[in-house]
Amino acid sequence: MEARILPQMSVMDKLKILADAAKYDVSCSSSGSSRRNDGTGIGNTVAAGLCHSFGADGRCISLLKILFTNECIYDCRYCINRKSNDVPRASFTPDEVCELTMEFYRRNYIEGLFLSSGILYNPDYTMELLCETVHKLRTVHRFQGYIHVKAIPGADPRLIQQTGYLADRMSVNLEMATADGLREMAPNKHRKNILRPMRQIQNGITENKNELTLYRHAPHFCEAGQSTQMVVGALPESDFQIMSVAENLYDKFALKRVYYSAFVNVNEDRELPALSGGPPLLREHRLYQADWLLRFYDFKVDELLTVDRPNFNMAIDPKADWAVRHLEVFPVEINRADYRLLLRVPGIGVKSARRIVAARRFGSLTFEDLKKIGVVLKRALYFITCGGRMMYPTKIEEEYIVRSLTYQNQMGKGERLPFLMDGTTYRQISLFDEEMGVV
Amino acid sequence: MEEKYIICEDSLEGIFTAIYDAYALREGHGHIHIQVGEEDNYRLFAAYVHSQPDAVKTDKVLRTVKDRLGEEVYGSLCRAAASYDREKGDAVYHTVVDGITAGSGRRTMENLRNPYVRKTFELARRTANEVHHELEFIRFQELEQGVLYSKIGPENNVMPFVMPHFSDRLSIENFMIHDEKRGIFGVHPAKEEWYLVSDAEGFNPQELRWSRKERQYQELFIFFHKIIAIKERYNSRLQQQMLPLRFQDYMVEFGSNE
Repeated sequence: MEARILPQMSVMDKLKILADAAKYDVSCSSSGSSRRNDGTGIGNTVAAGLCHSFGADGRCISLLKILFTNECIYDCRYCINRKSNDVPRASFTPDEVCELTMEFYRRNYIEGLFLSSGILYNPDYTMELLCETVHKLRTVHRFQGYIHVKAIPGADPRLIQQTGYLADRMSVNLEMATADGLREMAPNKHRKNILRPMRQIQNGITENKNELTLYRHAPHFCEAGQSTQMVVGALPESDFQIMSVAENLYDKFALKRVYYSAFVNVNEDRELPALSGGPPLLREHRLYQADWLLRFYDFKVDELLTVDRPNFNMAIDPKADWAVRHLEVFPVEINRADYRLLLRVPGIGVKSARRIVAARRFGSLTFEDLKKIGVVLKRALYFITCGGRMMYPTKIEEEYIVRSLTYQNQMGKGERLPFLMDGTTYRQISLFDEEMGVV
Repeated sequence: MEEKYIICEDSLEGIFTAIYDAYALREGHGHIHIQVGEEDNYRLFAAYVHSQPDAVKTDKVLRTVKDRLGEEVYGSLCRAAASYDREKGDAVYHTVVDGITAGSGRRTMENLRNPYVRKTFELARRTANEVHHELEFIRFQELEQGVLYSKIGPENNVMPFVMPHFSDRLSIENFMIHDEKRGIFGVHPAKEEWYLVSDAEGFNPQELRWSRKERQYQELFIFFHKIIAIKERYNSRLQQQMLPLRFQDYMVEFGSNE
């Protein structure tokens, strides 16, 4: 294959092609890394991450998200850049990427760089280009902001290792929840080629932590950890399969984040779902909510789903769904319940639960106090008592509560979704749910 | 007892001095209030006292607060004092009283049952949220001499909180942030400490000249911003919810460039 890099192509033309091609990758976060500036260049990082803008789709723009090249030797069916597609191709040079990053960063447009790539010639060649680019950015330009780089499956482990010492975060996309699914969708990719670099990065991080305890000034290896993403809704996988894989990745591969990407049929592939109602955003939203429950609310996947009940209830969120199926646990007394139990109450998030535990030391709390603390009472009221009393007499009955909590509630008192549901169409989503928001 | 109002300047120094003066009265605290800025509607049967900002008194209060309530509570009080809300003086004052009398120390801000603490907590949170937003949404433009310039119009006085962030991040750059609502400037000369300029007579933003490359990078970013959105997921309501219009007014990608 020949690299068709047209010399007269402007940076603007390249950006058009290579940002457009990168937009389906959903990992946008710039969190997990905290570093002060050393005075030799620009940049630092903030643990919670920063979102510098929001696009017309309401998604956060934190990093300059681009592909190095959209040339690709692979033919993955879901991907716009697959070999068999006749799309305009372009490649940046390392210098162009560095200059764009530096100039955008100075103006506070971005928090750093997200660099991914199609496979040019072979995985090693591509990984070397990515590594060279990031190396230049860190050493020549002394850039100290956030860098997220993709590890190219199948690339030489030494190249991945080198890149890891320059990046804050690395990621390898799992793409499909099951190995069979991957084979069907991406005939050139193999599950083991994806898990190998993932394991390598995990080990790299663990070793680096040991090194850092011994030598405080040892270089950092992927300080912000690693992430991955799965496409949702292209194949008939159940939510239970997807969430079990996610749980495994968190437990066995120590991932920082798993992202879920509602399938968009960019290639209008006839064998893939046409999704006339748009991408499955509500399903994606439910998966993110459940993901939050795993990471911050101490839930296990088998509490939320089972083989017999393999998919999330679209009508209400997974936490409320768990609660109405476990009415025997409720109501819980706000002034006595332990933190873990408070977290299980719909309408109480991590922040409110912490505030409740702190504030009740000063005396018992009332419903008015809870409201000020940030508890969403219209959701919580079915599940709590304050000083032994419920907020007002209400039916404790599964069906009744579900009706009150669903987004379809006509009274406007149900769940607020971050997108409009007009008939069958779900429009837009974000990872931020008022209750789930954990910063 | 007659209600007593201490009127003070709208600044951290003003409020802390007034707190000192309130304690100096030795009359208890239940009937004493601190009012920021001049009263435009005097009450009958209430006494009004004026308090002038005083560095020594401020320092004494500051040290007591840090000692007895800790750095974190001090941070919350500073953020509340930077609020736009006129009731902030009274809230901060009575929060200090509550923390010191109850001896709740570092836990002072957790006593959300106390309405003053709650008010302070809310104001501090609101300022903190706006500071966080400004760290994200401030846009710099490069002037002819390579200086970076940014104009903001925040609800609260965020300058003392955003400058440290950018001074670290852009340590080797000359930059300034201009709060056009308050007419103040945060100025950072490359590799030096930042400082505040509040008197900038003769400064006219119209006279600023952008560098040769400024327009080019603005265009690249505006373009990037447009192209990165997935059209199947367009959602302007969510966009506006995440990025309120009052910030968009100052951002190049929403057409604010001059």
